[in-house]
Amino acid sequence: MKLLLVEDNERVTRFVTKGLHEAGHSVDHAGNGRDGLFMAASEPYDVIIMDRMLPGQIDGLGIIEALRRSGNRTPILILSALSDVDERIRGLRAGGDDYLTKPFAFGELLARLDALGRRGQDAKGASDRTLEVDNLRMDLLSRKVQRGPRTIVLQPREFKLLEYLMRHADQVVTRTMLLENVWEYHFDPQTNVVDVHVSKLRQKIDVAPERPLLRTVRNAGYMITSHD
Amino acid sequence: MKRLFRSSAAVLSVGYVVFGVAALVLFAVPLWYAWQRTVEQGRAEILSADAQRLTEVFRRTGAEGLKSFIDERVGLQIPGERILLVTDAEFRPIAGNLPTWPREVPPEAGTYTIKMTLEGRPTRAVFVHARLEGGYNVLVGRDTARYAPVEQDFWYGLAGAVAVLAIVGVLGGFLIRRMLMLRIQGIQETVAAIMQGRLGHRLETSRSGDELDTLSQTINGMLEQIEHLINGVRNVSNSIAHDLRTPLAELRSRLEELSLTRPAPGETFAEIDAALADVDRVIAIFNALLRLAQIDSGMRRSGFVPLDAAKVAADAVEFYLPAAELKGVSLIYRGNGPAPTSGDPVLLAQAVSNLIDNALKYVPPGGTVSVNAHRAEGDAIEIAVSDNGPGVADSEKPKLVERFYRGDASRGTPGVGLGLSVVDAVAKLHGGFLKLADNHPGLSARLVVMATGPHLT
Repeated sequence: MKLLLVEDNERVTRFVTKGLHEAGHSVDHAGNGRDGLFMAASEPYDVIIMDRMLPGQIDGLGIIEALRRSGNRTPILILSALSDVDERIRGLRAGGDDYLTKPFAFGELLARLDALGRRGQDAKGASDRTLEVDNLRMDLLSRKVQRGPRTIVLQPREFKLLEYLMRHADQVVTRTMLLENVWEYHFDPQTNVVDVHVSKLRQKIDVAPERPLLRTVRNAGYMITSHD
Repeated sequence: MKRLFRSSAAVLSVGYVVFGVAALVLFAVPLWYAWQRTVEQGRAEILSADAQRLTEVFRRTGAEGLKSFIDERVGLQIPGERILLVTDAEFRPIAGNLPTWPREVPPEAGTYTIKMTLEGRPTRAVFVHARLEGGYNVLVGRDTARYAPVEQDFWYGLAGAVAVLAIVGVLGGFLIRRMLMLRIQGIQETVAAIMQGRLGHRLETSRSGDELDTLSQTINGMLEQIEHLINGVRNVSNSIAHDLRTPLAELRSRLEELSLTRPAPGETFAEIDAALADVDRVIAIFNALLRLAQIDSGMRRSGFVPLDAAKVAADAVEFYLPAAELKGVSLIYRGNGPAPTSGDPVLLAQAVSNLIDNALKYVPPGGTVSVNAHRAEGDAIEIAVSDNGPGVADSEKPKLVERFYRGDASRGTPGVGLGLSVVDAVAKLHGGFLKLADNHPGLSARLVVMATGPHLT
């Protein structure tokens, strides 16, 4: 993916840029608001990573609002130390697509960028009626799930969990992303309840000797994939 | 003097005096005018009738008859009752009780009110002058000085009323001012003490329920809130100092050791992962503290929406169900129907989750945790999380809500010791409370919120 990072902190910039390069993305960087707005407006990017508090006359929210006003629909991930729920809501209302608070884990950032990039592609095509990963097939209308010839019976919440994972097939999905999108919980439960839900789901969809599809990605989250 | 006029009490009392006098004058002047008109008109009518009668006497009996008639009447009447005079065409007196024709009365017939000197004293008199055949003049009059004492009494009364009004007004204003000053001085002293940092001070309230008392109570409420907030901030900074220091110290020693010993790569990476976990723990504590401070300050009331507390509780149960099953604990939701209220959905969900999380942590395998959401008395909604675990000693219950307090049983279990503090803060934000009670055996945590929406503490 081609990414734009608007961030004034050098250390964060170096860390993020290096990590994204290693993950196979190309990254442009703007160190202040003015340059950020100029680059975001003049070049097509897959996702923009936007800090909120920036030098150079215009802050992150200002850039996002300006871009949205001019009809630019590039997915934007806001990366900010402002962590209040109210601040988060303000960021999303200004036109941001996702909000990650500093300090953050790189895996979380990468997973969210992948999800946003995918969303951009999805928006171009029509929404599917079925989701497929290998021989796992989900019918969104009849709400039926099949693995090969075997029918899998899922609870409504398990269905939602699997749907989210399959919509982001071949991408890492973090626990926080699952919490926010499947349960709509915007806080961190003290115990790893999400892990239990996922392993319960895994027991239903990956039955030996079938090939395991739902993988745990160390230090990051989960991924459903048919690749090895 | 200038200070006196700046006092609102002085301005008020002067204003009331002026207003009172104006009202009196407005009342007295028309009355006076009406009295004058009525008396004078009545008098003139009587005098006209008298003059008519004399004219009639003259017509029947002639000048001589009139003279004797008038002489008889003058002899009979009380002195000063009626002025009677008959003159010839040259205004020479023929009969009556006036020695001469008064210069002030014009020679033409008519009714006149005239200021004049009568028997050596100034007075006002009403006259009716009639002309008779043969040039005779009849003058019938009345001295109005008879009513002067009544009129004088009227004016004295009015002046007295004004005086009383002024004295009472000024004196009352002065007293009110003194009283106000005394009470305001008390308020000022208390506020000055508070400004010097003695936040425990409160304004005196007399329970009389008057305006100043109401104001004092409101200010006391405000002080209560300010003290609460400041204590909150103090608590948070103390907590940060105490409880972030421990994991930071661990992290520091881990990194220092790494830097000093430079172990093999495999071991190094394991240590780095452990250091990252330490940092994550610090961040988790930090976030929890910030969230608590935010809830305490009441800022989150903007996020209140109508919601169903029963659904929030049921969702949380569903969320924790697999974790409970894994531990061999039965987690049951026992709600009966919706429990509509208004609140912050994120915070309520977090509060219920914390309670369930806690219960699951302490209940041994084979135990039961039941969650119940229902409408309590009034507008209150109660979400109760009850377990049949080891429970908590009565002496320990109040401490559980304190920040970073961890029960004896919890040593060695994960968690930062802020769970119940968050629940307590969320309950208070929703105008309710968190109550920990015995479940015989086990612990029952009751989270009570008010359905009527945001409440000020």
